[in-house]
Amino acid sequence: MLARVANNLFWMGRYIERAEHVARYLNVNYFSSLDAPNELSQSRQFVLQSMMFLVGEPLDDDSTILKEEDILFNIGLNASVPYSIINNVKHARENANSARDLISTELYESINKFYHFVINYSIEDFTKKGLYDFTVNITEMTAILRGKIRGTLLHDEVYAIIMLGINLERATQVIRIINAKFNDAVKAKGSYGDKISHSFEWTTLLKCVESYDMMRRYYKKTPSSISTLEFLILNPDCPRSVINSINQVHKHIKVLDESKSPDKNSTAFLISKVKGEYEFKFAEEIEEDIQGFIEKILNSLVQISLKMENEFFNY
Amino acid sequence: MNPEVKKPIFSSYINNPALFDEVFNTDGSAKNVYQTLLDLYGNHSIQDYVQLNNKAKSSFFNQGITFQVYDNKETQEKIFPFDLFPRIIDEDEWEIIERGAIQRSRALNLFLWDIYHDKKIIKDGIVPLDLISSSANYLHQMIGVDPPGGIYNHISGTDIIKHSDGNYYVLEDNIRCPSGVSYVICNRTALKRALFGVFNHYKTHSVTNYAENLLDILESVKPKGVDVPNCVVITPGMYNSAFYEHSYLAKAMGVELVEGRDLFVENDFVYMKTIRGPIKVDVIYRRVDDQYLDPLEFRADSSLGVPGLFAAYIKGNVCLANAPGTGVADDKAIYTYMPEIIKYYLDETPILNNVHTYHCSRPNELKYVLEHIHELVVKPVDEAGGYGISIGNRLSKAEIKVVQEEIKQNPRKYIAQPIMSLSVHPTYIDDSESFEQRHVDLRTFTLLGNNKEFVLKGGLSRVALKKGNLIVNSSQGGGSKDTWVLKK
Amino acid sequence: MSFEYSVTYYAENNYENPVENAYWQFLIVPENNDTQELISVEIKNSLEAKSGFSQNGFGFQTIRINTSERFQKINFSATFKLKKISFNPFGQIPIFDIPSNYELVKSLNFKVDHEPYLRETKYTALPAGSENLFVFDTSISIFDNLQKLNKWVYLFIHFNTGVTHVNTLLEEIINNPEGVCQDFTHLFCALSKKNNIPTRYVSGYLHQGNGYFGDSQMHAWAEAYIPQVGWIGFDPTNNLLVNDNHIKVAHGKDYNDCSPLKGVVYSQGANKTSHFVEVQAEQ
Repeated sequence: MLARVANNLFWMGRYIERAEHVARYLNVNYFSSLDAPNELSQSRQFVLQSMMFLVGEPLDDDSTILKEEDILFNIGLNASVPYSIINNVKHARENANSARDLISTELYESINKFYHFVINYSIEDFTKKGLYDFTVNITEMTAILRGKIRGTLLHDEVYAIIMLGINLERATQVIRIINAKFNDAVKAKGSYGDKISHSFEWTTLLKCVESYDMMRRYYKKTPSSISTLEFLILNPDCPRSVINSINQVHKHIKVLDESKSPDKNSTAFLISKVKGEYEFKFAEEIEEDIQGFIEKILNSLVQISLKMENEFFNY
Repeated sequence: MNPEVKKPIFSSYINNPALFDEVFNTDGSAKNVYQTLLDLYGNHSIQDYVQLNNKAKSSFFNQGITFQVYDNKETQEKIFPFDLFPRIIDEDEWEIIERGAIQRSRALNLFLWDIYHDKKIIKDGIVPLDLISSSANYLHQMIGVDPPGGIYNHISGTDIIKHSDGNYYVLEDNIRCPSGVSYVICNRTALKRALFGVFNHYKTHSVTNYAENLLDILESVKPKGVDVPNCVVITPGMYNSAFYEHSYLAKAMGVELVEGRDLFVENDFVYMKTIRGPIKVDVIYRRVDDQYLDPLEFRADSSLGVPGLFAAYIKGNVCLANAPGTGVADDKAIYTYMPEIIKYYLDETPILNNVHTYHCSRPNELKYVLEHIHELVVKPVDEAGGYGISIGNRLSKAEIKVVQEEIKQNPRKYIAQPIMSLSVHPTYIDDSESFEQRHVDLRTFTLLGNNKEFVLKGGLSRVALKKGNLIVNSSQGGGSKDTWVLKK
Repeated sequence: MSFEYSVTYYAENNYENPVENAYWQFLIVPENNDTQELISVEIKNSLEAKSGFSQNGFGFQTIRINTSERFQKINFSATFKLKKISFNPFGQIPIFDIPSNYELVKSLNFKVDHEPYLRETKYTALPAGSENLFVFDTSISIFDNLQKLNKWVYLFIHFNTGVTHVNTLLEEIINNPEGVCQDFTHLFCALSKKNNIPTRYVSGYLHQGNGYFGDSQMHAWAEAYIPQVGWIGFDPTNNLLVNDNHIKVAHGKDYNDCSPLKGVVYSQGANKTSHFVEVQAEQ
């Protein structure tokens, strides 16, 4: 496979996954805030600030008044801001276009439909009444795309590279969402006297990554900070957990690098190293310095991506 | 709407007797091959048809078989207009077209070999020296180069019309990078999805075997010493209007679709950059024009090409299809010599007619042209893109005088041809929600390899969607039809 | 008798912005022919980038250099050692059959065979009105006419550096007859071709020990095809027939086919190239 095309497939996977997480974050935060148990979590400004935090544009000054329509438009459909959903979808499709000869017709048609759905979505409808419809459609269409990726592609290099993109992005987005909700939990703490460890925001966090039901089944208790972090970061059976994503990355890199004992400068070696590090972590350790943990793991994920670019996508 | 008042599909079709209708006779009856099809379509109302048509459109759209239109603000994607009423060519007529297309391809290949080697046809006075010495597409770098397998025009697209006299005429031979074959295949797919029932009543040749034949042809011209050649398709990139076709062909052949930046040349061999390091490339189906192939040899500002590619080619380490320099043979002026070229190299008479051409440089032909301007098309020999063309029957008396004067001033500069009338085919028109007569042509695709040749049984029937328009190019708002070649 | 020469070509390229990836092609290697024999080639560049030999579209040997390291400046040098076989340019001139020579150059077969070097090109196109600046006298031989043309061009253009550049067209030269070897050669080629003589542009090196014009750059002259003899070199810049001091690199239709350096550089902004040449005789 051409190195350039491999790079495009990798990023196609990343953009699809990113669009999904951003869309769900908007949806869950907006709608769960409507009947949140405390005033701050119900506040529109609080929710909009949280959205901006997630897309990497946190506000310096909490007293700035955000306009709901502007924020929704920017994150959803404003093609001139890099973090918008519409831009992620455009990039996903552009990357698919250039690798069109390698992916299945079925997958391409689904990406294409996805793209047309987004670019034809009325901005007015979206900012006034379509938030639910738009974001649910995005998350459902990305689920279809994942199905097409798994079900209509040969599980060879092409598949491995797309899955590497998807899983690296998933780990990254889950960490970013944890970071954003942790930030919200800290802010919400003072307002109703509850401890941060039992904040309402942990439930929202789990819903943002579609893991609330799984979590309830596993722990059979209301989520706390410890159980949530443990579940979303360290539980290998949770398909959205960071460790699960890293395990997937580890599995798929082996398709590209078949050597039994990878060279110490290889991507495969770095991935094994990162994997080993998190396999034996425990949640209390993370909770002690959650900021430090988040920075460290995000950095590891960036390093993996860079190494991969140098080793496989260099053209 | 009351279903009882649904209009039958051809109820408002107007058959202009002055035009050659491929489906209906002047008395309103249908030609034989179309009778069954008309009976089947007759079961549909025009409303049903509108629905089917819309479904077919969205199928094209979802498959991303589109081209980009730029307006002042943003780019829009459009599908190529596609008509669900197919064109049928019966087996006997097709046989003539097929033999004629192969004959032309072979003759052009021999012509190209000759003008890049001994130039016998010019020395023998058949074709004037001017035609190559004044051609910007004649590449001196190709003189004396022997392309692998002796093939220059591996892929040819021949534009053919049916004239009002019922005969086929060739309008143009395209042997640079002719495009359109992917639409032939898409049109067939769309028609099968929309109206699968009709295929049971006709024995139609498949068109999906094009890619496998193309790969065979490419493999047949592998460089010397290569056992199993690595073939690739090179594209200018995803913003090229024919990118869909490039990716379709690569995918259907199962080969890599590369851009210039994916390739590099070392020691005069060509390699592609893959995730597992460099892999040698042996045959390149190039959809990049000559001038952009290699910035070290041709246009230095080209970022589409590969530095050093041409040297690798002339050393025989890689094959390019079509060969560089083929463009010289699809100049308008060469076209007018096709009957002589066929006779010279093959000692055969042309199977397909050329539109008769009067050379104003020849005194007796000049006389005829000056006297018959009102029934001729006058063209300058050295202009491209339709510039400077006068269509006789659309000129006023005063304008005819002006044209006569211009020709007299510089007779060498002009040729003239009879005004050709393209046949018409019933075509669904969105605006009037009915079928109307529209002019059509046919682009056929011929492949030439080392001891192999192939003509795709089918082709791209292009329709001029504007009423009365004779220009079928997609850039001018043309559409297309599925084209059925019947089996014996 | 033979002479040995050592030719060194230097080039320096400076780029306004860093370059990520670059290819250069040098058309500077002396060709092997009846009068010269290449002994050795030594290539160096400041980036220690990969170099190799290839050829251009007309079969002349090239040096290719490629680098994908970031840089803003590259120095390049090549040293050629070669042997030049001494010859008397007049030694090969026979007694011409004058009428049949003129007959021949007008024949179709001759025109077809020499089409590339009879064709008008961008740099050998004469402006309207100047086609007849030099018309052959058909009572004397083609060779004699070409010698006269050589002198005529030599006298017509005043040698002056810095007035013209590589893209100068003949229109400018005719309006303001000042220029360098390239302009002399283009005008010679244009007028010779107008008189039906196949003529080609030659690039090479000139040993300037004898005080010839050459400007420590690569030199240019012309070769014309003369019936009964073949290709003969004329140096209109110096009003000379080509001799032991001329070291040929390549020929083509005009400068465009012979330009010594072509580069494909993936960078933005301006660049500056300078090059110079040293030719030393080693007896």
